[in-house]
Amino acid sequence: MFKKALISIAISGLLTSTSVLAVSEQDIENSFFPYKSSLPAAAGIQVGMVINQSNWEVAKEVLDPAMLEQVKLGNYEIRVGETTSFDLHPNYIQATREQASQAQLGAKPGEISGTSAGRPFPAEPSAQDPRAGEKLAWNYKYGYNWGDSAAIMPFYWKYRNMATGQVERTIKFNFHFLNFTRRVNQEPKPAIEPNPSELFRATYVQALEPADVRDTQLLIQRFEDDSKLDNAYLYLGFQRRVRRLSTGQVTDAFLGSDIMIEDFEGYNGRISDMNWDYKGTRYMLMPFFNHNDLELATDMPAESDGYQFVDFTGQGGCFPKITWQLRKVYEVEAKPVDENHPVSRRVHYMDAQTFTIPRTNVYDRSGNLWKAWVIGQAHPDHHLPINKGSGVAIDDAFTMIDVQAQHCTTGQFKGIVDPSLTPPSKMNVQNLRASGR
Amino acid sequence: MSKKITTTGTALSLAVAAAVIGMASSAQANEMRWNGYVENATYHREGTGLSKFRNTAQATFSKDFDSQGDWNLSMRGVLRGSYDGVYDLNKGEFGKNAQESYLGANWHGQDTSTAILAPGVPFPCENDPTLCRNLDGYMDHKERDAKFPEFNSKADFLREFYVDAVKDLDSGGQLAFRVGRQQVVWGKTDLFRVLDVLNPVDYSRHNIYDELEDIRIPQWMINAEWRMGPTSVFDDSNLSLVWNVDKFRPNNLGTCGQSYRILDAGCFFSSRVMGLDQIPGAAFGGTNPYSASGVPIIHSVDEPSWALKNTQLGVKWEGVYKDLTFSLNALTYRQQLPSLHFRELAPGVPLPATDGVFDIKFPRVNLVGGSVDYYAAGIDSILRLETTYTKGEELPRDQNGHKETDMFRYVLGVDKNQMIPWLNPRRAFLISAQVFGEHILDHESDMPNFKDNWTGTLLFKGWWMNDRLSPQIVMAHDFRADASVFAPSVEWLANDQLKFTLGANIKRGGKERFPWSVAEGLAGDSSGQTEPLARFTNGPIGVANKENEIQFTVRYNF
Repeated sequence: MFKKALISIAISGLLTSTSVLAVSEQDIENSFFPYKSSLPAAAGIQVGMVINQSNWEVAKEVLDPAMLEQVKLGNYEIRVGETTSFDLHPNYIQATREQASQAQLGAKPGEISGTSAGRPFPAEPSAQDPRAGEKLAWNYKYGYNWGDSAAIMPFYWKYRNMATGQVERTIKFNFHFLNFTRRVNQEPKPAIEPNPSELFRATYVQALEPADVRDTQLLIQRFEDDSKLDNAYLYLGFQRRVRRLSTGQVTDAFLGSDIMIEDFEGYNGRISDMNWDYKGTRYMLMPFFNHNDLELATDMPAESDGYQFVDFTGQGGCFPKITWQLRKVYEVEAKPVDENHPVSRRVHYMDAQTFTIPRTNVYDRSGNLWKAWVIGQAHPDHHLPINKGSGVAIDDAFTMIDVQAQHCTTGQFKGIVDPSLTPPSKMNVQNLRASGR
Repeated sequence: MSKKITTTGTALSLAVAAAVIGMASSAQANEMRWNGYVENATYHREGTGLSKFRNTAQATFSKDFDSQGDWNLSMRGVLRGSYDGVYDLNKGEFGKNAQESYLGANWHGQDTSTAILAPGVPFPCENDPTLCRNLDGYMDHKERDAKFPEFNSKADFLREFYVDAVKDLDSGGQLAFRVGRQQVVWGKTDLFRVLDVLNPVDYSRHNIYDELEDIRIPQWMINAEWRMGPTSVFDDSNLSLVWNVDKFRPNNLGTCGQSYRILDAGCFFSSRVMGLDQIPGAAFGGTNPYSASGVPIIHSVDEPSWALKNTQLGVKWEGVYKDLTFSLNALTYRQQLPSLHFRELAPGVPLPATDGVFDIKFPRVNLVGGSVDYYAAGIDSILRLETTYTKGEELPRDQNGHKETDMFRYVLGVDKNQMIPWLNPRRAFLISAQVFGEHILDHESDMPNFKDNWTGTLLFKGWWMNDRLSPQIVMAHDFRADASVFAPSVEWLANDQLKFTLGANIKRGGKERFPWSVAEGLAGDSSGQTEPLARFTNGPIGVANKENEIQFTVRYNF
């Protein structure tokens, strides 16, 4: 009897992992509108309350261990806001609906078929599915993270000594994101042609200040084929040359910050580079807020349109001055396949509605907590006017805290969902040369 | 300095300035962006004392204009001015009065050749009117030019000044023009140049060791690009045409008396051949025509005047194909290093003319080449290959002064980012190695350059304190010359504005000798000599063998 049950579970797991399961309209509704019928609740957590060193225990079940520890230490106070629905763009949801039940994993991690737009696996993950974590990773990779294209102009990074609060460096960037395929909203749809190497997405970074990094540019091209390594190019202003980057550099500190290129947006690598493990679903406090309702920074360079950046607070100025809300979260552990990877594992807390990764804890090769990664998400309807109705959860403030070095890198975004800022011509090698000196 | 140069440069400057001003007035003004730095570089040379006390101010300005029809317009300029106080603070070693006891005393001992060749005259235009006249137009700087290198008749304080015009094409590509004084960079190499030869270089600033960006001599050029973007075959494709319409300028090798003079060429050019007056008159069928004051090494400089036929033209096609980035290049230009053409006393007589041994020429050179980048996943490294084949270059030789020869050059580079946890568990080190190869196709035994030679370079760089502290080691070795340089340095960013760099530059080599037929003819010495040909055998590293330095630089960015 016991043996039969085991076989049955094994077969069911095998079927769940590789075969196509029917996805119902209710599954899609649950996936994209999880707060339609009821809002999350947790004992002791109320909208408007502040969680700090004096009452941290109330948040034991709704904060991840790293953030809970920071609150416990008195490094940060978390203000609780109302749970709000971050509806993604209707075209993305419709694409999901049209291709529901078609996505299928291949035999090996990183292989997928039957999906060309939308969320590939909208059904609830199952603890019995050994590849549930991988499916969630695909949902993130093919998410509507920045929509079809967007720009962050400007994007301020500050390197801070957490112990003293000293701002050691301030770097001003422009970031651009562009999807070549799986486009659902901006023309051309569904793909940009020609695209001989079948690129999926590209990220272009331009450093504007200070002088020693001025004119540094980075271009990362990711392929549809997950087994292919990204092509990455770097332009250094003083060399006036484009150089290829080795993959070793994507796990290195980017321009000396606490962030690797692989950390961008939560995780910026191949699905096949990690072993993904779904750990469970829960309600957690997550950094989601309305930008225009915040008390914003007044010490930043002025923007001509009056835009103000998210402020920072707490120990060393390492924490975003935002509100957190209870949200449905998938906990996913990612362990690098490469044993020489500087990280032993990442624990991602994926937002179930948007499939962004607002919280990640990073562990070093010894298994000790190394870094806590927070990417605050702003509602597009309460941000810049141009973002209203874009259906993009706007990355609006980040902090990467190296808890071992007591150091952090913070980021203040001006995210703009405007296709005119990121034409395809920005995403090729020539643009690096042309935009350089 | 030639007045013609002044006229040509000024006319071009005015034309581009007028165009920019015209655009600025016709287009709605956008904000002008400014940034720059001030810097002091103080270098101390072993046995010599202060070798550089350069104080620099540089400002960069740029401005975008509102679109003019289909064209997006912008402009950019770089202004630089510097004063090198070494000529005021160490007059005994550098400057117009810094006389050497014999030619090449800064890199070798004495032998027969140094008895025949007079010591170089420092800044000949301040000490020797004949040499100054002979060198008119090239390597004829005055001490003031060395003190204030940007403030000269060629308006070198205007490092860059160009207008960009870009038009988006319906195909998704772009048509782009950059017109003005600019640097155009080809190739993928560090330290030494193979494809990167569109701009000449000022080696008098700090030999081969400054960033090329700071020592390329900007030229008035028109750079047209058809950026095709992705096609059905290539992920990226770009065709560019570069027309250097400037008057030709050669590399600046450093005038005798300057603290950096690559290959010590400047002092050789301001030297004289002595002792020819001691040849018995009978050898000339009567009277010896030479005077006791010697024969100047250089008779004249034949610097090409501005003419359409003397302009330089390059074409490059570059792109991305799967995992390869590549370029194919072709260029017709002028040799940027001087070629010395021997002047006979009379046809068939192997003795120099009485008024100068050589004329300096800059022959026309045609180059084809290419480059490739490839990511080798197996070793997690980037491989770089760059190669050129030239026709028309002229190399020195003992018997006939020079010879035209085809040249084949190539570079193989490897870049790897490697974690070394016991040194730094948080940040990878950059290890970059290159091997430069040169093959002379029409080599002769009396050529001081090796038929085949290789130079290896190695960069090892690390970062600590969130990249605010960065030590590095640069090494280079000239295999055939057996000359090496070891240059460790550490850079500290005190904050976003203030940077300190402390380094050393230690060299060895300069031991190679090459026979000189004149030494044999005049003194019967057929053994290897230090002058004048061994400078080519020893190369830029070996000839600088006594230039071991401690170097300190502080820069404030604004």
